[in-house]
Amino acid sequence: MTLAYLLRRLGAIAIVMAIVTLAVFGITMVLPGNAALMILGEHASADSLIALERQLGLDRPIWEQYLDWVWGVLHGDFGMSLRLSLPVSQVVGTAFWNSAWLALIALAAVTMVAIPLGALAALKRGSVWDLGIGLFAYVGTAMPEFVTATLLLILLASPEWPILPAGGFVSPSENLGGFINHVILPASTLGLILMAHISRQVRSEMAEVLSSDYVRAARLKGLRGRRVVWRHALPNALAPAVAVISLDIGYLLGGIIVVEEIFAWPGLGRTLIYALQNRDLPVIQAITLLLAVVYALSNLLADLVIAWLDPRVRHA
Amino acid sequence: MTGPGTAPVLDVRGYGLVYDTPEGAVQALADVTLSVGPGETHALVGESGSGKSTLAWAIMRHLPANARDVSGTIALSGEDILAKSPSQMEALRGRRVAMVFQDPSAALNPTMRLGDQIAEVLMRHRDMDRDAALAEGEAALARTGILHPEQMMRRYPHEASGGEKQRVVIATAFACQPELIIFDEPTTALDILTAQQILELFLRLRSETGVAALYISHDLGLVSRIADRVSVIHEGRIVETGPVSEVFRAPRDAYTRKLMAAVPRPEVRLAVPEPDAAEAVLKVRGVSVRYGEGGWLARLIGQGPAPFYGARNVSLDVRPGELLGLVGASGSGKSTMAQVLSGLRDFSGEVVFDGRSFAARTDFDRAYRRDVQIVFQHPDASLNPRQTIGTILSRPLRLYGLCPTGRLRARVRELLEMVLLPPEFANRFPHELSGGQKQRVAIARAFAAEPRLVICDEITAALDVSVQAAVARLLTDLQRRSGAACLFITHDLNLIRQLAHRIAVMQRGQIVDSFDVADADAPDRHAYTRSLLKAVPLPAEFQGESP
Amino acid sequence: MRDILRNPAGLAGTMLLALVLGAALLGPWLAPYDPQLFHASSRLQGPSAEFWLGTDQYGRDLLSRLLHGAPSTVFFGLGATALGVAAGAVIGVIAGVAGGRVDSIIMRVLDGLLAMPELLFTLLIVTFLGGGATQAMLAVALTFTPGMARIARSSVLSVRTREYVLAAIARGESRAWIVGREVLPNALGPIIVEATIRVSFAIMIGATLGFLGLGAQPPSTEWGLMVAEARQFMFRNPWCVAVPGIAIAITAMGFNLFGDAMRDAFDPKRNRS
Repeated sequence: MTLAYLLRRLGAIAIVMAIVTLAVFGITMVLPGNAALMILGEHASADSLIALERQLGLDRPIWEQYLDWVWGVLHGDFGMSLRLSLPVSQVVGTAFWNSAWLALIALAAVTMVAIPLGALAALKRGSVWDLGIGLFAYVGTAMPEFVTATLLLILLASPEWPILPAGGFVSPSENLGGFINHVILPASTLGLILMAHISRQVRSEMAEVLSSDYVRAARLKGLRGRRVVWRHALPNALAPAVAVISLDIGYLLGGIIVVEEIFAWPGLGRTLIYALQNRDLPVIQAITLLLAVVYALSNLLADLVIAWLDPRVRHA
Repeated sequence: MTGPGTAPVLDVRGYGLVYDTPEGAVQALADVTLSVGPGETHALVGESGSGKSTLAWAIMRHLPANARDVSGTIALSGEDILAKSPSQMEALRGRRVAMVFQDPSAALNPTMRLGDQIAEVLMRHRDMDRDAALAEGEAALARTGILHPEQMMRRYPHEASGGEKQRVVIATAFACQPELIIFDEPTTALDILTAQQILELFLRLRSETGVAALYISHDLGLVSRIADRVSVIHEGRIVETGPVSEVFRAPRDAYTRKLMAAVPRPEVRLAVPEPDAAEAVLKVRGVSVRYGEGGWLARLIGQGPAPFYGARNVSLDVRPGELLGLVGASGSGKSTMAQVLSGLRDFSGEVVFDGRSFAARTDFDRAYRRDVQIVFQHPDASLNPRQTIGTILSRPLRLYGLCPTGRLRARVRELLEMVLLPPEFANRFPHELSGGQKQRVAIARAFAAEPRLVICDEITAALDVSVQAAVARLLTDLQRRSGAACLFITHDLNLIRQLAHRIAVMQRGQIVDSFDVADADAPDRHAYTRSLLKAVPLPAEFQGESP
Repeated sequence: MRDILRNPAGLAGTMLLALVLGAALLGPWLAPYDPQLFHASSRLQGPSAEFWLGTDQYGRDLLSRLLHGAPSTVFFGLGATALGVAAGAVIGVIAGVAGGRVDSIIMRVLDGLLAMPELLFTLLIVTFLGGGATQAMLAVALTFTPGMARIARSSVLSVRTREYVLAAIARGESRAWIVGREVLPNALGPIIVEATIRVSFAIMIGATLGFLGLGAQPPSTEWGLMVAEARQFMFRNPWCVAVPGIAIAITAMGFNLFGDAMRDAFDPKRNRS
């Protein structure tokens, strides 16, 4: 893991981000309807439409809009929201932190639960534990977020039996208890599906490691079972598990959109849906870019963690 | 060595083992009896699937859940092992019985330092603390001949060579001074010269410590040099056992005799008669292959990997009807040459075939590709699993227009007969054939094209000993019938001395020596050639006078 | 196929699939009531003899709506996956076979497209296509294409270095022969397995899009849409959201189980029970 490697990766990320923003701009070229239409409504006169378009800068050629936007981004200016007439950075700023909290809590819970579960299932192959965890994994990966969310809401947030609130947001700085109360359901929804997937992957990696030649050699050296598991098996199963988790972050970022919508959580996802409905281009661009960058950086981070765990990768 | 009064270290009597599978009980071992006395080296010889490794697992009591002991006893220094509880076995493994494995890369934890992997055995069985264990581990490594043990202790497995890793595994096995060490083909995965070194290490450590050893191998030549007694195992049963000299001089069992006969002996010539043509059909002039140019960006920063030569300025000749042997260790460049000559790899230099000159891979035309055929090492991988044998064999016939469509099936039958396979194999798929049978099909496919030169890239390396001999004989037979020349690539020097007219030796991409087979033992041979010849053991008895 | 049925997961998957596909093919005819028919006096009821799975907020029979919506949901998944796999496989095979610069360029573009989280990508495309079931199917197909291209490419690459392919190249076979007769028949396996598992994702994403109002539109009885429409009433009659939700889960599970069993059947090394 040299400086050259890091630079190369960051460079690749930059190129990829360029492709991503190009793609988004490209998609808008196909679009029927634009922001001006959304603001004024379907029955607006053609003249007022054109006037608003000129005011918003939408009548310029696409490539000019794109280059203008890129120039702005490189200077930290993400432009103005077409719908809200506020700077995009303001619109997106708080939303980003709200989403970040939700995502990190979900991810932390998942990692702390799924990895031990998966390892446990592999260690006790064929037992009740293994079958139970396997079943949980199968069911969990088959439920879209909105189904899980709905079921959780029915169980835990019904009016007759409101254990937890059905949605909404309380800032942690205002009221930590309230924040925790409101974050449990959305985080659990996000987390459940990830937990199912990751525990399954960890189980499969762990099983493969447990049947490897070097684990067998360790047992044949007469080492105690616990040492074989903790010192020989687990560390070698963790690296591939981290690789899988890093791919799932993409899934997490998608799931956040749906979960925020259902639970009225004011994060990037909810803002994005609103922006999509209103064809608010700068906001869409900014959020898309942000999510893509987060995904790419988390992949890079995961690769660094893998290198730390696995000396073979470190020296490659 | 084992007198009647000395109690054996390992005593297996009438032992039987069965696997319970969905298809019924499968007998893996039946009525196995052997014993290893103190200080004795007892070799267990068998081919793949004979049960030799299964016996090792049974002794270590490390068997899958569906394995069942059905009969007999196993005793270690008089104690019944079969009666031991799992925790007792755990304490016993590594301490009183240790094991050395075939593939050191697989037997070592890739994410743990080598020093820790030795030290943990000492900490577990001899109650040492970490510092003492590391110090003792370093001393153990030094005893195995590693030059800088303190450096090796800190390395990870992927930073050590195959030979170094095997020394670590051996050091670990000897560390707790066990009564018995089981060696499961410890040199099979190493190249010849390294294997030779490990063997010498084994002999030295054995005489230093007097440990009893059960040495599992398929290599009879090797076994004759190091073992006191030998047992031959076949399909889960011991078919012959006795002192090495007796068994090798006068084998009683038919299977043992078959194994003996299959060992390549240089003085038994299988080659076709010496060709008389003076003009070579294949002339290779200054061929080089470069790998790994590295990205331009990396080279810009000065961090690019150095380009690596698979082959460097190689020149050789093959005359019509001749068999030229190309030998060398792995990585010497012999497979690279095979790929160049069969048009699979780019090269610089010149290849002249039948008077026509080719300077690049793209120059090779259909005529050349028909005249020069290749047979690969791995029978499983060289046949398309989704095509029947008939389709596979008829392909060259159709491609080169050698046979009218109506005659195809008959010709395929002829080809199968030529390689001694039944004609109904034409309708079978590759996975229904054994390794040796698949290799015959690959050879038939090559000869179907009526080539002038057949390149054989280690075609016997992946086969069992008894099958190897048959395939080698088949090749020379076909060579005789078709008059084709052959470039035979191998690392088995005894085999090549049986088959070849001339031999070329490669090291690190270059030809370092080239000679007629009769001159193999001549004193003016290159040092590397001589070390290779020394490293390939023959059964002592076969070398003429008994030792 | 026999191997799949022998595996308990595969057997379960096959049975679920049969159930679901049967519902998708025959559902609309099997439905006892007209799915759009209001039964004003029986709104938001739980299961009863009259309405086996209960009724929704307009008194419509849930079972009929479920059966009626089966084709939309299931064939959406199959269609989107088929399109995505076809497009992706073609691109991936071209990249794998061509190698060199063509391969590098295609890989870079794929990496770029894969840098976006999948649902995000789908949302963008479907929004700008205007929403609706066909547009959603296209969007999902487009989202799947880069991932499938990657898998197709790696499958082709792993087959390309096998010795029987090298033997064909050494023989002087034409490019067309090598790709068509040696490489493809052996590379298709992993692609098909992955495609089967992807169908479950397609169904889930399709339902999510329906839920968000970007996929199937009323009066369709697509299952995700059913959940969205009944959301505000979910506390009064949980059945009206639970029924379509569980149906989606069962369908996805069926394809998952079947796909996993197929993967095990194709690759004997992984058969560890």
